[in-house]
This record gives sequence, structure tokens and C-alpha cells, in this order.
Amino acid sequence: MVGLVLAGGGGEALSVLTAERAVSAVPFGGKYRVIDFVLSNCCHSEVTEIGVLTQHAPASLHDHIGAGRPWGFDHRSGGVEMLQPYVTRSDAEWYQGTAHAIARNWDRIEALGAARVLVVSGDQVYRMDYRRMLMVHERRGATVTLAVTRVLPQESRRFGMVQFDRDGRVTKLEEKPRRTEATHASMGVYVFETAALGELLRDRPADLVVDVIEPLLEAGEPVHVHEFTGYWEDVGTVASYYRANLELVAPAPRLELLNPRWPVLTRDEERPPVHVGEDADVEESVVANGCRVCGQVRRSVLFPGAVVERGAVVTDSILYPDTHIHAGARVDHAILDKHARVCAGAVVGWGEPPREPAHAWLDGLTLIGKDAEIPEGARVGRGVVVGIHASFAGLPREIAAGSSLPSRVWYEGMV
Amino acid sequence: MSRYAFILAGGLGSRLCLLSERRAKPAVPFGGKYRIIDFTLSNCVNSGIYDVGVLTQYRPTSLNQHIGTGRPWDLDRTRGGVHLLQPSLGTVQRDYWYQGTADAIYQNLIHLRRRRNDQVLVLSGDHVYKMDYNVLFAFHKASGAAVTVAVTEVPAESISSFGILETDRTGRVTGFQEKPKRSDSRLASMGIYLFDRDALVRWLAEDAVTPGSEHDFGKDLLPRLVARGEHVYAHRFGDYWQDVGTLDSYYQTNLDFLAPRPPLDLADPDWVIHTQSADRPPVRFERGSRAARSFLANGCRIAGTVEHSMLFPGVTVEPGAVVRDSIVMHDTVIGRGAVVDHAIVDKEVRVGDGVVLGHGDAGTPNRACPEHLSSGLLVVGKGARLPKDIRVGRNARIGAFTSEPDFAGDVPAGGVVDGPQSMH
Repeated sequence: MVGLVLAGGGGEALSVLTAERAVSAVPFGGKYRVIDFVLSNCCHSEVTEIGVLTQHAPASLHDHIGAGRPWGFDHRSGGVEMLQPYVTRSDAEWYQGTAHAIARNWDRIEALGAARVLVVSGDQVYRMDYRRMLMVHERRGATVTLAVTRVLPQESRRFGMVQFDRDGRVTKLEEKPRRTEATHASMGVYVFETAALGELLRDRPADLVVDVIEPLLEAGEPVHVHEFTGYWEDVGTVASYYRANLELVAPAPRLELLNPRWPVLTRDEERPPVHVGEDADVEESVVANGCRVCGQVRRSVLFPGAVVERGAVVTDSILYPDTHIHAGARVDHAILDKHARVCAGAVVGWGEPPREPAHAWLDGLTLIGKDAEIPEGARVGRGVVVGIHASFAGLPREIAAGSSLPSRVWYEGMV
Repeated sequence: MSRYAFILAGGLGSRLCLLSERRAKPAVPFGGKYRIIDFTLSNCVNSGIYDVGVLTQYRPTSLNQHIGTGRPWDLDRTRGGVHLLQPSLGTVQRDYWYQGTADAIYQNLIHLRRRRNDQVLVLSGDHVYKMDYNVLFAFHKASGAAVTVAVTEVPAESISSFGILETDRTGRVTGFQEKPKRSDSRLASMGIYLFDRDALVRWLAEDAVTPGSEHDFGKDLLPRLVARGEHVYAHRFGDYWQDVGTLDSYYQTNLDFLAPRPPLDLADPDWVIHTQSADRPPVRFERGSRAARSFLANGCRIAGTVEHSMLFPGVTVEPGAVVRDSIVMHDTVIGRGAVVDHAIVDKEVRVGDGVVLGHGDAGTPNRACPEHLSSGLLVVGKGARLPKDIRVGRNARIGAFTSEPDFAGDVPAGGVVDGPQSMH
């Protein structure tokens, strides 16, 4: 079985966090990237020939995956291949959708000679043994098998919902319905018969579900489900991304990273152990090597190299690598991207979250882009988006809830 | 130009007591996630030396496992890289173990035959320091030395633990005494030698047939070279350097890293100390945890209290437990309500619920090894399982892989609990 990881998504919904990276490359859980979960699943499921389809801001993904060493993909034959859109003599097309992305690389995939193709989304957090799904697929003689998981009724509008009969055969697919009888969502994990998929890709489809799986279903082909009951989260929105991270610091987490039989593998940085200082006060948090904490931290996730100085307070927040919270600063309900700095006495996540529906997507959180520096004593309200390397020059000391500051290119002022 | 370094990593490290009973001293865990040899290996690659032979002899298993193919240091190479050189039969006309440091290199001269380096660097795997060896190479070339010895200033009271050098104004060595009782000089050899290759080969061949020689660089070869006026130079190193020879200095050196200004910056992105790290999740602090003035490595889970201590990867501190002024190595579990005070606890130990480690006064030295354990520190060997609610006095030694039947209740100060003998 050959694996294809769909990692091209730009994730508009994640705003400044995905301005310069693919959703799959978003940091997660104190030292990982989101895509580590599916790459580790592939590794532990013995799927060792992998294509990663990239399109939006792939640089960080390429850096992260490299030759695939952390997942054992750097073997002599096969391994991991990054499949970026390309130009031919006759055309120059960006990927128009998931199926189109696969079709553009079909020659390469077919040449691997695998009987089945596993297609997974790189934007989801879960632990799954794909070999069990393959067994179900084989036993049922399916043309395509979809992994499904139970979701709350009010969440159906976020997902492709799947209805199936008692034998696990799919009877109906609905894309993001407001209301439905279906209880299970498609997880974006599929096993295809290679030959059948190849046939369908000839018609230049765009979307894997609408243009490939639905026609199969209508044609009466055997389309089956594989039910998954473990923890699964699509981290495509600020709220779900935040929720999944904070799950790690819950008293009884549903997602447990400490699992020696199914470790989540990642490209690790060599950093010294966590250093907690004299007045450190840390509870209910996850803190990675390379962090230095002298202040107070509660219900937060700290990535390598995050620094919380004396008298600073960090609550319900996510601090990406090499962020720096200076003395006496406060950070509450915020996500700070790499190298962001909160200067002495500044406050991030100040006051009440905005109530207008236009800000609902932020779930009351404040997002601080890479390299942004919150000046000394400034107060940044809840539900504010501070752009990458944003400038505070000429702005009031208080940034009101719900406002946003534009990003700047990193070399602005140098040219 | 490509450069080659030998790292001597075969020593017994007997003064480290239980810590190096089943592992070579360079493989002893250090600094919350490293092994002692990581400093030398990282110095090599950070100095651009990617061709390294590690000479092992005493219990090399943990060192072999740690270094492996050399990946963390980028030493898994098509050409060069790292090679582990264990004593073998048939290399010289006799079948001896390595007799001394000079003999160890002598028996591995074959590795120099096809290498075209003009100089050979000889290092020790026992020391904690950051050093750019390029500076040594530059000094060696400029001074016209045949061998350059790196030296560091040590306090007058500890000269008897080192090879002490006297030099003239140009840095040329005029005297060399191994572990002298008294000397006017305080310049100690760091066990770092840069040799001209041809001179090294000649001198080692000569030393091999010298009657009465113990075939050691510090004891035999260098004093002889200085005495007969060879071009031996000393290069002074001014930064932090530590030979963690004894249990007490091992303990103190580790805890020095917990200070607000540690002796070495382990987070320096321009001089990374590389090591073999398992994939472990970040440290998890539970509700009710307290941790201050400590190092905690990935994979730790803290529900109790940790104060002024160093916790290696995967340590669990259960609710109500207290770890104070201690070093706790990989995957050890400190049970509920247990107290660990002023102790070194090796890997994979299970400290039962309610156990008190470090009970009572520090006045009684250890019964079996008073010379190593008398300052109040207590040591627990790898894999020991301490039955719940026992109290262990200071200066005690709990052997590796001891378990419930080995304990008859509390262990008094200076007490000894021996576990099963190792198979070999």
C-alpha cells in the first residue's frame, strides 16, 4: 500500500498562523507539527512509501520532512517524496482540488505498483493503525473504504457526513449538511483500489469526494466504512486547533502523547532540558525542552525555547518556539507564533472577548504573528489578530478587542 | 583539510562508584539529558572534525548504544564518521588489552596508515567543556610544536590530581610531572594532545619497547619528551572545563547548571551539544505540581514537588512526592508521598510509595566505600526497586537491580544493600 498525504491546504481559517505555512505544518502539542500524526501513523502501520502533496507555502513542510528520517522513510528504495505542482510543455496548473492533485501525479504513483492507495489528510490529529483499515477493505472486497468517526450533531456542518448500513456499506454522502440523520463524519482517510482510482482520475476530477467517491457510489460500486473510535480532531479552525492542544493539559487527556508503543515522531531539535527558575510556578501545562520558565504558567502549551520571565503570567495559551514573555507581562487565551515577544508589563488577551458574530471564528482568542513585538506596557485585547512582524508605531497603547494589525515583510525597513 | 581525532573512552571511572559500575565513564548521564562524551563529540563536529575513532575497553555496551552510527552528531558518513575501536587480537604482536592511553593509540595506529592528516588529535571522553579545536590547531602550527598539550589553570590544592606542566614565556613546556605533591605551576594537562602524525607514530613505537613504561601519555610519554627537549608546547584554555572524577564533583558539577548563570550555555545555537534523544513528548506538569530551580527533560511527568534537582528524560514524580537537591536519571518513578533528598538515583529505578531517601544525619560514611560516599550523598543503582515506606539513611549505597527481598527494612546511614551479581 502506498500512502498519499494531502498537505496542500492553505487553511484560511487559521489566519496568521498559516500565512507562511501549510495547515499540516502548524506546530502542535509542544514539539510537533500537525502532519507528524499521520506520518507517524504511516510509519507504525508499515506504510513506508509516501507522497506528500503540497501547494500552499510548502517551505516549512519541506524543511520539516526532509528525507523523512524521523519516520524511518529515508530507506534505499521508496521513502517520502514531496509532490509540488509543476509545469509541463502543454500546461501549467495549480492543484484544483484533492483529486486533481492526485491525478497530476498519477504516473508516479502508479509506477510504484501498489495494489492499493491510502489517501489521508495531513491536517488531523489522531492515532490509527491503517493496517486494520486495509484488512476491513480487503475482507469486504471494497473499491474504496472511508474511515468514519462519530461526531456531535451540531458539528455536522463542518464535515462530510456518511450514512451506512449494518454491513458497513455506504448508502449516502452529504457534504457539510446543516441537519442530517447521519451520525458519522468522514475522517478524510481513504483506501482505494489503485486500478479503480486510476480509471476515475482520467476524467479530470477536482474533488475526491464529489468527483470520485460519489460517482462510485451512484454506480453501485462497493463503498465501505471503517469505523474509528479513538481520539480524532480536524484542526482546520482556530477553535478546534486550540481545543486539541488544550486537550493535552486536561486532567485526564483523551489524547496522550506519552505512548511508547505508538510514539508521535518528529524532527527534534537538540535543546537542553526545561529550566525552571527560582520563582517558577507551573501547573497543568506541557513544556518542551529548551524552555526557560521563571514566571507562572497555567493550562498552557510551551514549545522549545519559549521563555517566561520572572513575574510574567501565562494562562490558557500556546507559545510557539522561541517566544519570549518578558518580566511582568501577561498572556491569556492567546496563540503566539515563533519569535513573538511580549515586552515587560505588556498584556496580551486583555479585557472581554468581542461578542460580534464577525469575530466568532477566533473563539475569543488573540493571535500574534511571527516576529511580532508587543511593546512595553501595551495592552492587546481579546480577539485581536496581530500580523507577522506587525508594527505598533503610531498606535494607541490599547489595541481594542476584535481589531487587527497587518503583517509586514521581514525585510521592511531594510530596503 | 580533513582532520582526525581519537577519543579515549575506555577508563574505569572507579571513583564514580555505582554510576560507572556497569557503564564506561564517558557514558555516564550528565546535565539532564546528555552523556559525558557528548561534550567531546560535539566539540569535534562543531570544530569541523568529522572523522573520529572512539577507543573503548571498559564495559562499552552503553557507549556503543549511545553513539550507534553517530547520527546525532552527523557522524554517520560515507567517508570518515565515527568508529568504535575496541581492543582486538592480532593488531600487534601480542594480545594485550590497552595498557595505558599511549598503548591504546599505539594499538590503533593502523587507522592512521591511509589517512593523510599531518596532525592527529587525541582527546578524552571524560570531560565537560566547550572548545573550538581549530584554535589548538592554529597555535600548534604557529608555535612549531611537535605536540601541543591543552592546559587549564587549577587551584593549588588540586594539583596532585593532574599532570602539571611548567612552561616558558613562549608556551614551550619545560617540565611535566604527573600528579605531583607540590609544584609552582598550576597549569594542568586537560588530556587533550595535538600531535604531528609522524612524531606520534615514532614516539609510540619507541614507547612500546621502552622497558618499565606503563604506556601512558601523562605518566611516561610526555615527561620523557619534555625531558629530552622535544618541541612540546602548552596551549592555555581559559574557559570552563571540568573533569567529573568523583561522585561529589559529579553531583556538584551537575547542580552548577541549575544556577541562573550556568557554567556552560547549553542552549547556544552556535555550539549545540548533540546527543542521542529518544522521541519523548514535552514535560507534563499536572495539577498541584511544584518545580523550581531545576532541569526537567522531555518525557518527565511531574505531579509532586521538584526543588533544585536535575531530572533526566521520562522521570515520573507522583502526587505528594518531593525531590530535593537530587539527580534522577531516565525513566525512574518516584512513588506517591516519597521523599528523595540529596541523592543520585540511576535509571529505571522504582522508588516505592512513602519511601524516604536521605534520612537522618550525614556523619556516618559508607560502610563499603567510605572514600567515595561520606558527604551525605546517597546513591541508588540502576533498576533498583525500593519497597514502599522504607527509610534510607545518608551516605547509603543501594546496588543496581536490588529488589524487595534484598531489603530488611530501613537502611541505616552509610548502609549498603547489594543486589544480584551481574552475569559478567
